[in-house]
Amino acid sequence: MSYREAVRDALSTAMRQDDDVFIMGEDIAEMGGSMGVTHGMVEEFGKERVRNTPISEMALAGAAIGAALQGMRPIAEIMYEDFMTLASEQIVNQAAKHRYMSGGQLNVPVVFRTQGGAGWSPGAQHAQQLEAWFVHIPGLKVVFASTPEDVRGLLWSSIYDDNPVVFFEHRTLYGIKGDVPAKIEPIPIGKARVHREGEDVTVIATGRMVHESLAAAVEAEKEGISVEVVDPRTLQPLDEETLVASVKKTNRAVVAHEAVTKMGFGAEVAAVLQYQAFDWLDAPIERVGARFTPIPFAPVMESFVVPHMETVLEAIYRTVTKKS
Amino acid sequence: MATEVKLPRLGQGMESGTIVKWLKSEGEAVKKGDALYELDTDKVTQEVEAEASGVLIKIAVPEGEVEVGRTIGFIGDKGETVAESAEADSAKPEPAPVERAANDVPHAATNGSKGSEAAAPAAAREAGGRIKASPLARRIARERGVELSQVRGTGPDGRIVAEDVERGETQPATAAAAPAAPAGEVESRPLSNVRKTIARRLTEAWTVPAFQLTVDADMTRANQLIARYRELNPDVRVTVTDLLTKLCAQALMRHRDMNVQYTEEALLVFPSANVGIAVAAPQGLVVPVIAGADRLTLAQIASARGDVVSRARDGKLRSEDLQGGTFTISNLGMYDVDQFIAVLNPPQASILAVGATRDKVVPRDGDLEVLPMMTLTLTCDHRAVDGATGADFLRTVKAYLEAPGLAL
Repeated sequence: MSYREAVRDALSTAMRQDDDVFIMGEDIAEMGGSMGVTHGMVEEFGKERVRNTPISEMALAGAAIGAALQGMRPIAEIMYEDFMTLASEQIVNQAAKHRYMSGGQLNVPVVFRTQGGAGWSPGAQHAQQLEAWFVHIPGLKVVFASTPEDVRGLLWSSIYDDNPVVFFEHRTLYGIKGDVPAKIEPIPIGKARVHREGEDVTVIATGRMVHESLAAAVEAEKEGISVEVVDPRTLQPLDEETLVASVKKTNRAVVAHEAVTKMGFGAEVAAVLQYQAFDWLDAPIERVGARFTPIPFAPVMESFVVPHMETVLEAIYRTVTKKS
Repeated sequence: MATEVKLPRLGQGMESGTIVKWLKSEGEAVKKGDALYELDTDKVTQEVEAEASGVLIKIAVPEGEVEVGRTIGFIGDKGETVAESAEADSAKPEPAPVERAANDVPHAATNGSKGSEAAAPAAAREAGGRIKASPLARRIARERGVELSQVRGTGPDGRIVAEDVERGETQPATAAAAPAAPAGEVESRPLSNVRKTIARRLTEAWTVPAFQLTVDADMTRANQLIARYRELNPDVRVTVTDLLTKLCAQALMRHRDMNVQYTEEALLVFPSANVGIAVAAPQGLVVPVIAGADRLTLAQIASARGDVVSRARDGKLRSEDLQGGTFTISNLGMYDVDQFIAVLNPPQASILAVGATRDKVVPRDGDLEVLPMMTLTLTCDHRAVDGATGADFLRTVKAYLEAPGLAL
């Protein structure tokens, strides 16, 4: 099953079993969404439950929050995570706050699905990775899945979570295929996944970088370096226990994401590790991410700005003091 | 603040003394000028007076030999304790043996008080005097009582990493300031018979007057030959060691003066070349012998070598496998060693140390060529073999390697 089909399967299965679940977004009905994720769903569920919205992220996010407050379980698709900026007032100031401000009387069981990422030259306004904006907000859960199995199981858990979840997908992962269980198995929010066990260094990676890191691990192994690759999968709340345990075992850490390195999610991970595993660290924690610049249009420049397998490999080498 | 009791220099030339016994016990009040302990120097045994008043709060060295200047105890106020690390050292449940007690002292001194002298620091220090070490290295050092100033860092910018501390623990930087490992950390492995034999024979070898000769050989043709041989005989995997075994055997037959053993009565000259191959077996170094290698084909040597090496690794060698050698080859090329000097394998008169083959720039006919070169170092028992004899033999080995057809 592809990553794209896995997302669709979670949405459709939930909508089949539960009338409270519906999806809304720009061009998600007849067009099937700009990435084809909701392709064919309007035929099965009709336009009431697969709702096209006007081109206003603030309006559609607000409407989804309103429906959630009324007891529905809406999933709002924000076409590009770059456009999350427009929906931020609703997500940050409304969705994240209502349960707290109502003293627990109100729940906001809404999911904001969105996608982004570089690798196909969409330019500075359609390629960003903005997860760090939302992990910083108390009251939001943030998920970023990297495999078909994870995206399906985590989207399922997000739909049935009683709190607002910002659900990131990566544009370049929609086509990847992977085995999934015959029946959807919910994956708990807040649980990391150890993709590969290793002894010498832990690479903590999200989204596309999980795959780049797994490839780097294969390369490093040829040099005799044993790499553990861990995907937090949920960025907020973070599975600190798994990450810290891994680094206590390997004594070295690389944090890799496609988002800009500076002030990024990786900085938080590095801070958690240095505090909880300080006496286990044998090398400075390496961070891998995009250079501090808008993502360029030109493919060669885009490739230069965002990290790849080689970037992770170099960071691995630095932690074990091998050639760089 | 406790006053350290340091071993005094009681006369010129005194470097150390032996504490016989303490005349005060821990917790007992001490006045300046009181006899504190009995010290044995190479000249006399005498009582040493306390230089401060207070309570003897800690005896760091109950007895044994101690260097001048080391802290052996602490005098302070009643109820005062010394620094935690010094405490931990002397708080071992069982009385430390004499040697260990002596070793503990510098540790206690350097840890327990800042001012005491330490040996020249081995670690990279920043301008401010702080030692660069990873948090993990610091923790291990703390737990095991290792002084970071005595550890050489191999990380970036000389940073001490965990591996350095673990290595440093078993290799003290200087004998005097060696940080003593806590009692539980030293592992005592009974000597295996193999280990005992290695120790006895190599000690014996060390008494033999030996000399070394080194040559570089161009391995182009040897490598071609091995490659061709593997193509033709895919069943037997011929190695550089096999070819060397064959070529050395041929060379030994040509230089019979090399295929000898020295005895008190006579020089024994052997009729065939029995070539030993040094093998790193799990239980230690063993040298199985390929007997009559001069009469065997390369494939026969390869298969005989494969047999003894695998039996060596399985610990299934028979004593006859190890006997009768007249020459030994020790090849560390597979460990990436460039060149090295082997210790003789008595009673044999020579041993060849083989390094890795590497591409090197070699001047040839006024031009520069990149050639696969291998460095060979021959060690000879000078009682049996003269320098020129060894050199002549080595020249033949080199010629054979560079043109293996000559060995026919």
